[in-house]
Amino acid sequence: MIRLALPKGRNLEVTLAAFRAAGLLQGHDGGGRSLLTQLPADGIETLSLKDWDLPLYVEHGVADCGVVGSDVLSEVDGDLLVPVRLKAGRSRMSFIGRGHAMPESGAQVRLATKYPQTARRIVAGRPWGAEIVKLSGSVELAPLLSLAELALDIVQTGRTLAENNLVEIETVAEVAACLVVNRASYQRHRAVLNDWIDRLEAAEVVS
Amino acid sequence: MRVSAALPIGVAALLFESARRRRMAEGRLTEMLEKAGYGEAILPILDYVEPYEALLTAASRSELYRFIDRDGEELALRGDFTPMLARLLAPRLTALALPLRVFYRGDVIRYVEERAGRQRELYQVGAELLGVPSEPGQAAEREVLRLFLAALAAGGSAGGGEIQVVLGFAGALDGLLLGSGADPVGLAAAVARRERGVVRTACPALLPVVETGLPHRPEDLGPGAAGTLADLLALRDELAAGFPAVRLAVDLAEFARHSLDPRLSVDAGERSYYDGIVFHAFAGAAALPVGGGGRYDSLFRRLGAELPAVGFSISLERLLEAGATREVRP
Repeated sequence: MIRLALPKGRNLEVTLAAFRAAGLLQGHDGGGRSLLTQLPADGIETLSLKDWDLPLYVEHGVADCGVVGSDVLSEVDGDLLVPVRLKAGRSRMSFIGRGHAMPESGAQVRLATKYPQTARRIVAGRPWGAEIVKLSGSVELAPLLSLAELALDIVQTGRTLAENNLVEIETVAEVAACLVVNRASYQRHRAVLNDWIDRLEAAEVVS
Repeated sequence: MRVSAALPIGVAALLFESARRRRMAEGRLTEMLEKAGYGEAILPILDYVEPYEALLTAASRSELYRFIDRDGEELALRGDFTPMLARLLAPRLTALALPLRVFYRGDVIRYVEERAGRQRELYQVGAELLGVPSEPGQAAEREVLRLFLAALAAGGSAGGGEIQVVLGFAGALDGLLLGSGADPVGLAAAVARRERGVVRTACPALLPVVETGLPHRPEDLGPGAAGTLADLLALRDELAAGFPAVRLAVDLAEFARHSLDPRLSVDAGERSYYDGIVFHAFAGAAALPVGGGGRYDSLFRRLGAELPAVGFSISLERLLEAGATREVRP
């Protein structure tokens, strides 16, 4: 029995669609309110976790594998294996502001984000400095209402930004939902996990 | 005045039953090492930083707790036993009868980011076999691995828990990584994370290594590495017959960042001085190894001595925790 951690929220539908295309999780209804779902025919048990908790559960082997956004992974990487990334539901991580330009060389700005570690790494390579303000949601509001000059956040279509007169100034990374696997589990269940990955690749739902 | 019982991040106090469990595991392990002919070395918790300067990587330096002593000397808390033992033995080699079999036990203190399951103080028991080269016949590797497997079983027998040992060797993939035309350091990281897409594009010959741990054809690794792989597979089969309860696998992707080429020198999280066989063990479900080791002949060379060496260490709390948490999984 392989325990697969499914993400709550925006990545759940794309994950289920990808696994179903690969002939897995056919009988899974998304789980509803149940925390654990067993699919004995597939030899799978799924659990439903919030994105930010998922890498920790996989690292500790409570789940053997899971699907989580690369945005979360770059923030709380727990030395997990990342064999494939889902093609659907891709978005981008970008700097957002009210103007079109990045800060000038030597400038010190305030940067609002849900991803302080990632932001720190990116800013370290820039000619300007930033005071990083960690927010837990509605990050776009920070530049809009001048809590910060810049925001670093996920952009999907850019529609919300446009409606609020905000500008996606620079894209720093593509964000994808990633299949992550516990190192010890990969050794133990290599044949099954490789079969899953082969099927996901054959269904052309991952890259 | 009421005082708080809170401790700094990453350390723990073991009281009563948990202390008894660890002492018992330690006792079983050290008794086994003594019976195997290994003599104990008790090493200090504090040492100068200076003797280690040539050995430190950016990663191992950032793990060290360093400070200036009252007399102005730069000191560090012990973060690793192997280099400490090496630097103490290197100047004394002429007076020592080889081969030398040494074991140690004690704390290592390493700074790691606060995260569940990552302790900054780890209690280790380890052993080193010094003075036996790899050739002929991998006698030292065989002895140390047998001891490592027996020690895992002895240390963890309070809780049990399935043990998996993964074997590889440093530099196994250097030829493929450097010959790919892609950034070899980035590619080594992608192999270690088993990122199929990146590896398929950059170096298709590495794809089977990512998927199965082994190349499609051993010759793909180059003539030297192909021979080393054949020897390692034979050693794996021999050990597997002797330890049926342990899962033993050769997986070169697991050690993709252990390189022998300076162009590939990266700050891998694990000890970076291994230059021959390298291995680690998982117990239970957790992804953090409970122990590991390898051959490190060049460590002594960098300290001005010629001494072939193989060793291992086991983190006792991790091993005991793996046994204790096993029952949670179906």
